[in-house]
Amino acid sequence: MFSIQTFLDAFVPLAWAARYTLLVSCLGIALGLVIGVVVCAMRLSGSRLARGIGALWVSFLRGVPLLVQLLLMFYLLPVIGIDVPPLVAAVVTVGICASAYISEIWRGAIGALPGGQTEAAQAIGMGPATIWRRIILPQAVVMSLPALVNELILLVKASSLVSVVGILELTRASQAQAATTFRPLEVYLAAACIYLAINLCLAALGRWLEHRMAI
Amino acid sequence: MTQAASVDMTRINKFYGPFQALRDVSLHIPPGKVTCLIGPSGSGKSTLLRCINFLERYDAGEIRIDGQLIGYDTPGGRLMSGRRLREMRRDIGMVFQQFNLWPHMTALQNVAEGLERVRGLPRAEAEAQARAALDKVGLGDKTANHPARLSGGQQQRVAIARAIAMQPRVMLFDEPTSALDPELVGEVLAVMKQLAAEGMTMVVVTHEMGFAAHVADRVAFMERGELVAAGTPAEIFANPRDERIRAFLHSYHERNAFEV
Ligand SMILES: Nc1ncnc2c1ncn2[C@@H]1O[C@H](COP(=O)(O)OP(=O)(O)OP(=O)(O)O)[C@@H](O)[C@H]1O
Ligand SMILES: [Mg+2]
Repeated sequence: MFSIQTFLDAFVPLAWAARYTLLVSCLGIALGLVIGVVVCAMRLSGSRLARGIGALWVSFLRGVPLLVQLLLMFYLLPVIGIDVPPLVAAVVTVGICASAYISEIWRGAIGALPGGQTEAAQAIGMGPATIWRRIILPQAVVMSLPALVNELILLVKASSLVSVVGILELTRASQAQAATTFRPLEVYLAAACIYLAINLCLAALGRWLEHRMAI
Repeated sequence: MTQAASVDMTRINKFYGPFQALRDVSLHIPPGKVTCLIGPSGSGKSTLLRCINFLERYDAGEIRIDGQLIGYDTPGGRLMSGRRLREMRRDIGMVFQQFNLWPHMTALQNVAEGLERVRGLPRAEAEAQARAALDKVGLGDKTANHPARLSGGQQQRVAIARAIAMQPRVMLFDEPTSALDPELVGEVLAVMKQLAAEGMTMVVVTHEMGFAAHVADRVAFMERGELVAAGTPAEIFANPRDERIRAFLHSYHERNAFEV
């Protein structure tokens, strides 16, 4: 029999564990945005070396599962003498991984801008820095918003993987809860509801932002 | 208006890889006059026009704006610095077939942007001059509209305002009415005629033979990267000596009914 009481009781501890889920995914995307801009600039730059490094970065991070990246980072850091809490290692790894996808999102958005806009700016004597700042980036940010929100939602779900480095986030917490209550169905259903609620909120936030920034 | 400039092109050659897009093109664009470039598709009209403000790099020859070489430090020498090129481009306005407005800015911002960021005017002054330019093209009441909220003809007029606000000494037009619905062509041509009447040097690539015949002071005909002939509209349209021009006009007449 499905126990409504167990289902409802599970919410409090699970919601508490979800703070790690949110922390890892939100800090991860923030870090990913910053590194992503740099990687994107490298991939679009005139320097062959920079383009090569950017391409390598993207293909490695997209080609290796996040789970493996987390484990690599977790065991690599002590070897090279860096001692940080697992949570920091997790956030950094998620951020680095996200940067690969985000840089491609930026690159796609910039590539989708009609080239004529840049030519029109050049034709009145505008310099490259001003063109980037005033013409290209403002539009690229708006155009990439839906894809960035999508990326954030993917990260929320992927954040369950950080449990391998010992962080008790939502999925790991529900496993523990299921084991102690012997009520896996109720507990996992509660976890599913929390994931769904988080992601619906993020999607709504994204739509609001898109609407606010619509061209 | 600021002094209208002349453009002198001497033996321009341009290659795309092995393909030669311009062959020894020499053309004098007199100051304060309208010169129309006509010719079949792919003949190199846009390429030649875009060489004038060095959006396209020419490989050999010289292009001088009022005697000043554009693109290179010396003929056949090194590329000129980006800064110097930008200075020269300020004096050369350009209007594109696809308008190329910046969609995230209002009509006013589109026009004021260059005044503020390139000419360095204070915001208020830039906007005042932008308003005046938009008034001039008959869009004084549309300053707050984004391009998406303007008709094609209105967008092209904003693009013209954006160019003339910089007070250029030459204006380049690349098929300014080709992307427009037929009923919107007139309003753009009217603005161009007004500009011509004010004594602006204009180089216009066009498939509007009516405009070329009635407004141009000179018409130049291109084919396969070569300048076949240049002369008055009467010389080119009424009794062209070159067989290629006759063939071009004949096929044009077949597609469009128009009288010179
Ligand atoms: N970036 C490019 N790379 C290679 N070839 C090009 C490039 N741009 C133009 N060409 C070629 O150069 C030739 C001249 O092109 P251009 O655009 O100047 O012609 P056009 O006279 O303006 O034609 P249209 O009336 O169709 O606009 C064409 O054969 C074209 O295919
Ligand atoms: Mg063309």
